[in-house]
Amino acid sequence: MVMAMNRLMAHDVTLAYGRSKAVAQNLTFQVPDGRVTSIIGPNGCGKSTLLRALARLITPVAGTVLLDGEAIHRQPTKEVAKRLGLLPQEQVAPDAIVVEDLVRRGRYPHQSFLQPLSAKDRAAVERALELAGITELRNRPVDELSGGQRQRAWIAMALAQETPILLLDEPTTYLDLAHQWEILELIRRLNREEGRTVVAVLHDVNAAAWVSDHVVAMRAGSIVAEGPPEDVLQPELLRRIFGVHCDVVESGGVNVPMCIARGRSIWRRHELMVRSLTDGSDEKGARPAEPALRAERLVAGYQNRRVVEGVSVSFPAGKVSAIVGPNASGKSTLLRALARLLPVSEGTVWLHERPIGRSGRKAFARQLGMLAQEAPVPPGMLVQDFVAMGRYPHQRWYRQWSPADERAVERALEVTGTSELRWQPVEALSGGQRQRMRLAMALAQETPVLLLDEPTTFLDMAHQIEVLELVRRLNETEGKTVIMVLHDLCQACHYADYVVAMKDGKVVAAGAPNEVVTEELVQSIFGMHCTVFPDPVTGTPLVLPYAASDTALQEVVLESH
Amino acid sequence: MTTRTSAPPSRSEPSGVRVIRLGAFSFRVRLRVAGLVAVAAVVVVGLMAWSLTLGNYALSLAEIHGALKGTASADARFIVVDLRLPRLLTAVAVGSMLAMSGAIFQGILRNPLVSPDIIGINAGASVGALLLIVTRQPLAYLPAAAFVGGLVAAAAIYALTWRGHISGARLILVGMGMNAMLTATTTYLLTQAEIRDASRAVLWMTGSVYGSDWGDVRLLVVSLAVLVPLGAALMWSLRVLQLGDLTAHTLGMPVERIRLFLIITGCALSGIAVSVAGPIGFVALMVPHFARMLAGPMTAGVFVLTGLLGAALVLGADMIGQHATGVSLPVGVITSALGAPYFLYLLSRTRVRL
Repeated sequence: MVMAMNRLMAHDVTLAYGRSKAVAQNLTFQVPDGRVTSIIGPNGCGKSTLLRALARLITPVAGTVLLDGEAIHRQPTKEVAKRLGLLPQEQVAPDAIVVEDLVRRGRYPHQSFLQPLSAKDRAAVERALELAGITELRNRPVDELSGGQRQRAWIAMALAQETPILLLDEPTTYLDLAHQWEILELIRRLNREEGRTVVAVLHDVNAAAWVSDHVVAMRAGSIVAEGPPEDVLQPELLRRIFGVHCDVVESGGVNVPMCIARGRSIWRRHELMVRSLTDGSDEKGARPAEPALRAERLVAGYQNRRVVEGVSVSFPAGKVSAIVGPNASGKSTLLRALARLLPVSEGTVWLHERPIGRSGRKAFARQLGMLAQEAPVPPGMLVQDFVAMGRYPHQRWYRQWSPADERAVERALEVTGTSELRWQPVEALSGGQRQRMRLAMALAQETPVLLLDEPTTFLDMAHQIEVLELVRRLNETEGKTVIMVLHDLCQACHYADYVVAMKDGKVVAAGAPNEVVTEELVQSIFGMHCTVFPDPVTGTPLVLPYAASDTALQEVVLESH
Repeated sequence: MTTRTSAPPSRSEPSGVRVIRLGAFSFRVRLRVAGLVAVAAVVVVGLMAWSLTLGNYALSLAEIHGALKGTASADARFIVVDLRLPRLLTAVAVGSMLAMSGAIFQGILRNPLVSPDIIGINAGASVGALLLIVTRQPLAYLPAAAFVGGLVAAAAIYALTWRGHISGARLILVGMGMNAMLTATTTYLLTQAEIRDASRAVLWMTGSVYGSDWGDVRLLVVSLAVLVPLGAALMWSLRVLQLGDLTAHTLGMPVERIRLFLIITGCALSGIAVSVAGPIGFVALMVPHFARMLAGPMTAGVFVLTGLLGAALVLGADMIGQHATGVSLPVGVITSALGAPYFLYLLSRTRVRL
């Protein structure tokens, strides 16, 4: 019997950047033809590196990548590009380039210098625009598009290339729930309707399970498991891959498994639920907590653009609050206005019933700390020196290291579990460690109120849980009031006592998670279908989105109501 | 120098750090940085002593000692006190000021490619100084004119770059445009000047410490005495500013005010240095990198180290220009010819990300 030969495969490849240690070792992997394959795994497991090797962007140190039975790096670039399209993780577009022009560049491998744009090229561009659903955006500059639209424009460019195989590197990163699903649906359609082979690196296990026929799970540079999604979506296996306990749950009516990563706090949550069931009283509902931070008719924005439009909201003291909403709904802007980082054009903000404009800068910084989404980290700096900068509002130029500073830094390192890392240079840390270090800095500031802007972005599942568990612990053991922007609805419901939902610069709903997060709310703020059901262990709401195209699923959900 | 000492390591501090507390004052001192500062200081003093002995009229260290004490012959005293000493003190002060100014600008802009000579601040100082020369104002105002020229250039660059925030790439482009414009202005001023003024101006612009007198030294020493403590104190805030404006704001720093102080200090350092020695290239760009490669991220200690390294570079370059080659070369030529290759070598070797 002759063994079936797949068009694209990696044979015993070892991958490394420069002369450094190998990122992946002895990988053998066949891309199933005409299927959607996703590669999952924690940060730094080598999944993007493998994809880059498949795309001929890096040459393996040992082994070969075969395209149609021939070593890919021996084939000319243009020949490869006619058969293989790639969506890179970070795209760089020239300023002000319009969508159609960008998509047209995908035709490069089919063109030559003397014959620039044939009727065939034009037809391919039209088709790509249509498939990606951006025909009406063709004359818009790429940098003015929303995140989801921009990602679709880039995918359209890869589509115009008209390759039977498409490689996508984290196509859903930076996108909110609705935009993520927009892209996942597109991937599925490309496969079902066009018969293209798709390989996507994804960080969201549930998205991978939904979109793909074949899942490849990687850890520490090797392939741990491979198979159809239902085989890979097993708690023990997920634990081995991501190093975090996972439950796979199914909602009542809908037969779709969903993976939820768990931290230690589920037990406390579980107790709370049991208690509220037996007592019949909700701990939170009994006595409304006094607000730590309160905004009234707040209007804020950048230069001429108003982003937050008359928001009145109050955040309970001693609780964890989460702000959720789609991209560009004003979540981060609200947080910045609360932290006095943006001028407030109208309305007032009170911190512990005192208008925030009244206190001096340093005095305010001793009351309220904020962790920005991303900040430059000076290279070569040691972790402890970084954390110690959180002491700035307590220091003077001549009092740079008082015993109180020393104690606060010591404690911050201890609570965040970064004591062992203190003498490491910051660039040596992993994503999760770096985020814990940044939290430690905010903690060393010793403020009763802590604002966190998307503390889990850029982190994989295990690190996300690690950071959120830490936030919970800070609230419970240190009594901190935490207000954070989160993009994962399930995590927001699980880790916050109070949820604020925003859309178009306004607060749409606020309250306890199970009161706020409903199917109607998700539909209205994200504009997408989902089913919301209680977590069988903790009782907090779980949100399971599904595509509009999934009519079968839609019917089941409607019936179950 | 030692980074580890035999003292028992306390739980909260590694052996490479000492905490100094005195009443309300408290500081952390990194032993490695302190050691490097000490070594650099010894090197500078050594170079100074050696430099005094060199020249057509060779002197021994004992004779120099005598000259300084006033016991040597009148000739020796004249050569040491009136000719060699002012020149070498000028070289030392100018070198340290340029280097520290570079450290400040690279720090506030979080960009390793900026230095006052590249983004037009030195050119601004030159225009200020030249205006003074061609309009025949008293030369006593030269430092003030150069300082104001530099400050005006910095303000213009800042205003043209500002778009809600300062973007590094944009700033360099604006700065280069400014530099070109100001350099053209200097040339124009020279062509309009009378020959006597023009030749004086050209001599000044070559960038040389030749012919410095005690008046220059006095000015430089006073400026250093004011600006170095100021700069060192500001480093405390600059360190936090390097985490980005947003983080600096959340830590309660008056970001715009601190940045203004830093810019004024940086302009004063480079403007005054330029007013005395003319624009000496390369020192401000390169020396802060040396210091960071040796000692790590910028702190007050590294700032002082930067100054000492700048002093050693300019003094050493002046010694080479004066004595090692047959002809007397201006110091700026040597700093570039010597420093640049070594700098490139260091860049290719080091793992420090810039």
